[in-house]
Order: sequence, then structure tokens, then C-alpha cells
Amino acid sequence: MLDVRNLCKYFGGIRAVDGCTFTVNRGEITALIGPNGAGKTTAFNCISRTMQPTRGEVWLDGARIDRLRPHQITRRGLSRTFQISRNLADMTVLENVICQSRTRGWRDLFRPAMSAEEIDKAMGILDFLGITRIAHEDGSNLSFGQKKLMDLAALLMSDPKIILLDEPAGGVNPTLLEQIVGHIRELNAKGMTVLIVEHNMELIMRLSHRVVVMAQGRVIADGTPDQVRRDPAVLDAYLGGVLEDAA
Amino acid sequence: MASTDTTDDILKARQAYNETLTAAQDKRRATWFPLLLLALLAALPALQFAGNYNYLLHLVLYTLCYVVMASGWNILGGYAGYISLGHNVFFAVGGYFAGMMFARLGISTIILAPLAGLVAGLLGYMIGLITLRVRGPSFIISSLALVMIVRIGFENWHFVGGAAGVSLPANGLPVQWAKLPYYYAFLVMAAVALWASYRIRHSKFGLGLRAISKDEVKAESAGIDTRFYKVLAFAISAFFVGMAGAVWGEYLTYIRPNIFLVILISVNMVLMCILGGKGTVAGPALGAVLIVAFNEFFVATLGASAINILATGLIMALALMFFPLGIVGTLARHRKLPRFLNWD
Repeated sequence: MLDVRNLCKYFGGIRAVDGCTFTVNRGEITALIGPNGAGKTTAFNCISRTMQPTRGEVWLDGARIDRLRPHQITRRGLSRTFQISRNLADMTVLENVICQSRTRGWRDLFRPAMSAEEIDKAMGILDFLGITRIAHEDGSNLSFGQKKLMDLAALLMSDPKIILLDEPAGGVNPTLLEQIVGHIRELNAKGMTVLIVEHNMELIMRLSHRVVVMAQGRVIADGTPDQVRRDPAVLDAYLGGVLEDAA
Repeated sequence: MASTDTTDDILKARQAYNETLTAAQDKRRATWFPLLLLALLAALPALQFAGNYNYLLHLVLYTLCYVVMASGWNILGGYAGYISLGHNVFFAVGGYFAGMMFARLGISTIILAPLAGLVAGLLGYMIGLITLRVRGPSFIISSLALVMIVRIGFENWHFVGGAAGVSLPANGLPVQWAKLPYYYAFLVMAAVALWASYRIRHSKFGLGLRAISKDEVKAESAGIDTRFYKVLAFAISAFFVGMAGAVWGEYLTYIRPNIFLVILISVNMVLMCILGGKGTVAGPALGAVLIVAFNEFFVATLGASAINILATGLIMALALMFFPLGIVGTLARHRKLPRFLNWD
């Protein structure tokens, strides 16, 4: 479904992503892991076009998307969250979420910001995530975990076909972590394709169908969690430690 | 909160708090107040039957002119968060376009104002395509550069009279009624500007602009065409400033670069929005009233020296210490905004 081919991003002499190639299959949860500085987030940014890739192609459902602007990619059904939750302060959670709903053409621009259907839909999503009670709260008053949930809610508002989650569990307490895992599973069960960057190995191994391992800007392994865990190149990249602990 | 000992109490407190949040959401607007204000202002010239109130009418007219401009500026500077110090360029473009048409063809600028606004808006659209690529200090500097370029251009353009400008014929009305056409023109424009500002704030477009002002990367990734939104906001704000300029030129019976293209005019627009509350509907109007009032008061009491500017500056500084988000913005944040000022 999502096809990343030979993606490169250079910052001057630094090759943050250097010929990264992988695919994400429809209906699967694919994880992108790797040691710090492996280029996971940069690859993410290049796919969603928050950054312009130096070279390479990204295809979504048979259409090339690496030349599009970020909002066009979002409209094609690829939505992302950010590692450090970027929310719109001074706007309520509801407004934050509805902001992400689609607009079509000129006439849509000047219709009321929040139509009754949109409010219903947004409240439905907030209900699904269990955060209806903060709907009218100011976005800047939320806790770190609530912001993560709000990001997820906003993401769903745009009816995406594939969602890219950048460290959804980073800095989140264990209870909330379980909730987020539950939500991701539930979404996936409904047919949502997920690409996820995460440092929490235990979570990755539990959640994902397929794992892509990056190191120094390249993909060094690609397979089921079990295959990847035993891959010598992966063990080498991580210097042994982390994966064995998780196993 | 002393009584939050048990879970039930906490839940109750939580619920009560949530209710205040919901209440704040659907607080009914005080539509009657702006309408009353409009009716009063429309009736104000009747005072002329009782005596000579030309000075008062001039002050109200001058304030209304700034209400139009500050509300226009607010669409770009307040909603989208792009501070422009170059909006007097559109004031000049509107003024010159309508003024020259008036001088050559004799069509009143009051009729031409919407057209002049469109010309300014089109120019704003094109300038926005170039300058809105940068934000923050770079954008402010680019807007200042625009003023300088346009000023040099107008001063050396002989067709429009260069630095000396062009004088326009005064209307033939007796002095008592001479101001009225312009007075009502500005009143209508101010009402339209405030209505447009309200409509934009409550539209998808306005929501998108607010998102852009908070976090442009996030807005773009939320599916908002940020470039188009910004440029359109620039064009709409230029439209209102251009309309104001059109009528202002005929009112002064003179168009000259140093009437329109002085930095004080754009600074005034910005200060009014900041004092009243950037990104609110009522803020620019309140700011315009206060700043014009301060200026007049200090000119009257301290004389037309530099001291009156100092005093106005001092008031501004004090106001912003206590109202960092502007008067309307800060009061709304603390839920203390009187109902009649809640035009949002």
C-alpha cells in the first residue's frame, strides 16, 4: 500500500536517510525501529513531506506522492502524528480535532467552522478514545498523555487510509500506554493500516505484524518480529542488549 | 478546594468544571450591542441640527476609518498571526486608484470603494504569494521593505503627481453637511468589515487561519492548504484597507504619498489590534476607539508636541502589562469579558 523506494535525505554531509526501501502492506501494523539516529523520524518526515527528500520515491496506492505538498498527502489518506505532540494551543480539543476534517473547494471555506455532523463525528472519535470529558478544554491545558490522545483523535478526523504514528508511547504512563495500544489494535482490526515508530521494544514486538529495522539511514532487516529478533545484523546494530531483554 | 477528599468529590468538582467549560462554549452573543451602536452612530449627524459638531463627526469618522483598517489587518495579523507593518501600502493603493478615477472621471470614491478594495486585494494576493513564504521577523521586515518600495514608486510617478500628489475637488455641500457622505460610507464599511471578520472567524477558513497562527507545520499536515489560506487572508485584509483608503483620499481632498505611506498609519493599525485584542472580532474596534481617544485627549491637554506621543506610548505599555493578550483577549481568557464586548 505504502511503498518507499530508495529514499534519501542528506543534511549537508550527513546522510540521515540513505537509500531506505520498504513497503507497508494494507491492513497491517508495521513498525519502524532502529537505534537513535537511525533516521526513522527523518524517513517519516520525508514520507509525509514535512521534509523534502533529497532523492527517492514514495508511492501510496499506486500514485506517487513525494512531489505533493503535505496537505495534499493528508487528503490522499495518509495522516501522521508528531513525536512531540504539536497541538494548537488556545483552541479547544474539539476545535483541534475538527481542524483536521476535510474541506472541499471554495464554498466549504466560508461555511461554519464546526457543522453539527462534524461535531457529532468528532465527539464520536473522542468517545472512542475515552476523552469526551476534555472536549471543551483548551488544548494547552492538557497533560502530555491527553495530548497524545488528542493527536490520535485529530488524525482519525481526516478519515485516513494509513496512519503514521511517531512514538505514540513516548513518555506516556503504563496505564495510558495500554489504552493507546488497545486503540491502535482496535483501529487495525477495523482495517486501518498503521506505520509506527517506537522505542519501546516490548510494545513493538507485541503489537506489530511486521518490523522494519533501520540503522545509519538504511534498512538492515525486514520481517516478522520473531525473524527480526534473531537477525544477527539487528543484534549487531543494537549491540545485543535491548532485543534480548524484550524477548 | 478543601472538600475534594473522596473520589466522588473530585468527580463532582471535575463535572462542575466541565460544565463551566461547556457554558463558556455556547455563551450567547450580545448581538444587540453592536446593532445599537450602529443605530446610534447612524443617528449621530442629527446633532448638526442643534449646532456645529463637525469636530465630533470628524473624530468618529476617523475612528471608523481605523476600525475598517484594523479589522482588515486583524484578518491577517490576528487570525493568521502574520504581523504586517506594510498595510498602509494598500491604503495608498486604494486611495490612489479611487482618487485618480475621481479626478479623471468624476465618479465618487464612495461608489468606487469596493472596486478600489478589489484592486488592493489583488495586489495583496500577488504580494502575499511572494512575501508569505517567510514568517516571523523576516515577514515583518519584508512588509516594511514593501512600504519603502511603494513610497519611492509613488513619489516618482508623474502621472499621479509624484511627491506633490494630486488635489481632488471638494464636494459642493454646505460645510455643515460636507462630511456626511464620507461619514456614512465609513460607517457602512466598518459594519461590513466587522461582519466579515465575524464570519471569517466562525468559518472553516478562520479555523484554518487560527491553526496556521499556532503551528503552521501541524496545520499543513492536518490537511490545510496553508499557502492558499495565508494568501487569501492577505488579499481579504488588503481589500478592507484599500476600501478605507479610497474614501479617505476624497475626504481629505488630497492624495499624496506622505498622507498614505507614512509608517505611523500601519503602526496604528497594529497597535489598535494589539491593544484591543489580536484575533478577536471586537478587539480592533475597541483598540481603534481607545487609541484615537488617547491621542486626542493628550493632544488637547499636552499640546501637539512629542509629549502627547510619549503619553500615548506610556498608556499602551501600561495596558499591555495588565492585558498581555489585548483587552478583549485577556478578559476573555479570564472569563471576565462583559457580554456586550463578546462579539466573537
